[in-house]
Amino acid sequence: MTAEPAPAPVGLSARDVTLSYGRSPVVEGVDLDLPDGGLTVIVGPNGCGKSTLLKSFARVLRPVGGTINLAGRDVHAYRGREFARKVALLPQSPIAPEGITVRGLVRRGRHPHHTLLRQWSPDDDRAIAFALDRTGLADLAETPVGDLSGGQRQRAWIAMVLAQQTPVILLDEPTTFLDIAHQYELLELCAELNREGRTIAAVLHDLDQAARFASNLIVMKSGRIVAEGSPDAVLTAERVHDVFALPCDIARDPITGTPKVIPHTRTPRSGSGVMPSGGAGVRP
Amino acid sequence: MSTVEVEPEGGAGTSVRVRRPRGYLRIGNLVALPVRGVTVLAAIVVLVLTVAAAVATLTLGRLGIAPGDLLPAILGGAEGKEKFVLNRLRGPRLVVCLGAGAAFGLSGALFQTATRNPLASPDVIGLASGAGAGAAIFALAMPGGAPVWLGALLGATGAMGVVHLATGTGFRDPGRLVVAGIGVAAIGTAITQYVVYVVERDKASALSAYVNGSVAARSWADAATIGLVLLVVAVPAVVLSRHLDLGEMGDEVARSLGGNPGRARTCGVVLAIVLSAGAVTVAGPVAFIALTAPQIARRSTRGSGPHLVLSTLVGMLLLTVADLAAQQLPYVEPLPVGIYTLAFGGAYLGFLLTREWRSGRL
Repeated sequence: MTAEPAPAPVGLSARDVTLSYGRSPVVEGVDLDLPDGGLTVIVGPNGCGKSTLLKSFARVLRPVGGTINLAGRDVHAYRGREFARKVALLPQSPIAPEGITVRGLVRRGRHPHHTLLRQWSPDDDRAIAFALDRTGLADLAETPVGDLSGGQRQRAWIAMVLAQQTPVILLDEPTTFLDIAHQYELLELCAELNREGRTIAAVLHDLDQAARFASNLIVMKSGRIVAEGSPDAVLTAERVHDVFALPCDIARDPITGTPKVIPHTRTPRSGSGVMPSGGAGVRP
Repeated sequence: MSTVEVEPEGGAGTSVRVRRPRGYLRIGNLVALPVRGVTVLAAIVVLVLTVAAAVATLTLGRLGIAPGDLLPAILGGAEGKEKFVLNRLRGPRLVVCLGAGAAFGLSGALFQTATRNPLASPDVIGLASGAGAGAAIFALAMPGGAPVWLGALLGATGAMGVVHLATGTGFRDPGRLVVAGIGVAAIGTAITQYVVYVVERDKASALSAYVNGSVAARSWADAATIGLVLLVVAVPAVVLSRHLDLGEMGDEVARSLGGNPGRARTCGVVLAIVLSAGAVTVAGPVAFIALTAPQIARRSTRGSGPHLVLSTLVGMLLLTVADLAAQQLPYVEPLPVGIYTLAFGGAYLGFLLTREWRSGRL
């Protein structure tokens, strides 16, 4: 018996979407299809609207113009719990309720599968056990979330999202606040889940990580999408310069062969980088 | 207890044995509600203590009914002195205490959970004072014109409207809420004092009852009022509980789990206002029951969630015990119950403020 049914194709797309929190739009006239079974990564400078766009896909934010569709139907035409069985979102700074255990938190992910009188379903146990197992938290199930380390806490939130058993998972900067080892651990987990058939979209800051893990890379600037495609095609020196105002070279990642951004910095620290340390030119 | 085999996807042959989590009240396949053992235990303890306090309320003192006669008196209809004590003197007072305590406790739990703010309690943020002012105006300045509960409801709603506007950020920011609440509470108390002073110049006890809250000299009509309020609110509160659970994790998580956090918050605040207004109508703005009951419920079970039932029970217990003290403490003139809760709860509020301040949440 497998714990997860093979996810059906979904088709989550934005058509001419304009998003705004107040008067001026944060995202304007965006068209985007999240490829089924893909791992889409959205990058862009701070304030470019990438998190806002992700939220609109999760039905958390209602577009002021255009529509977001799931399987050809406006996401806001779905009932809340029905949609929550298809698309899950892990926002940037979720709040863990005071005193909640890991298992308690993961169980909250089952909410869309419950009704008022039936707040337990036979699939709950399997879904929760699967989520705890995949995130390596089975031994910490009864630990209060407040006692976890940063990496464990983020995995607990991922487990909650997994327990929701949705074919689509959206992650808003899931690696923020994690050290580098935990960042890669989390991205590996995302890649595995993606290989098993889930459609994943994540907002990331690190371009090298985005290039390594994305099957589809989206670059945003000032509320618009400026490039979309494979990391190889999208991540060029000119584009990084143009979008992030960062002069750079693009090298090849020695392990994966994916593009890697090598920034030009104006004041390289002496004794490091290009010049071999202890070399003749180091001392003034 | 059945176990379920779970095969991790793409698993290397390892299987996890899962014990079906206990902690559900199940009726066939239709009903399964989460009930934690520790919560049930705490509820039983609180109920036993409440019954003890209720028995003490009826039996202690010069006019108390002898403990042996209590049960027959309640069941079989009392005679003479016992009838007077049970039906007029202490019976209604006790029931009002239980009802108002329950309403304050539930109101506090709803408000604190809906706003995700442990300090957002009807007594701290001026809701109860507003209700008290409204009740005083309706009862004293235009007696017989309109029901007192309507005044309390209008006063409570008005006070919350002012607080909501004064903070500039709604009910979210704990610090602003408390500061705005202190201001509104002061205005509410000032209005009450003015009304009482103008209308009942000579009656210091009346003033105290309206400002601090008192359950002395209550009737069965008061008991019925608060009972009705609790009855009306109970079902929506239970339905809401699950949605307030979600709201605890922030609006975005709640929404992505299929909830509607804005609507849940509004419903929670409205129910809390109705409950507080009802309790203030029959007992006056008794301080700090609404603040402390949910905190005690939360701390004694160490769990997450709004703890609606347990907060209700703890509120009942607190007000009953406080009124027992108000009636029976020796060497003290009978004081309104609100004075006792003020002394007890004020210290607790101080502790809570310090804690929130230290942890940087204020």
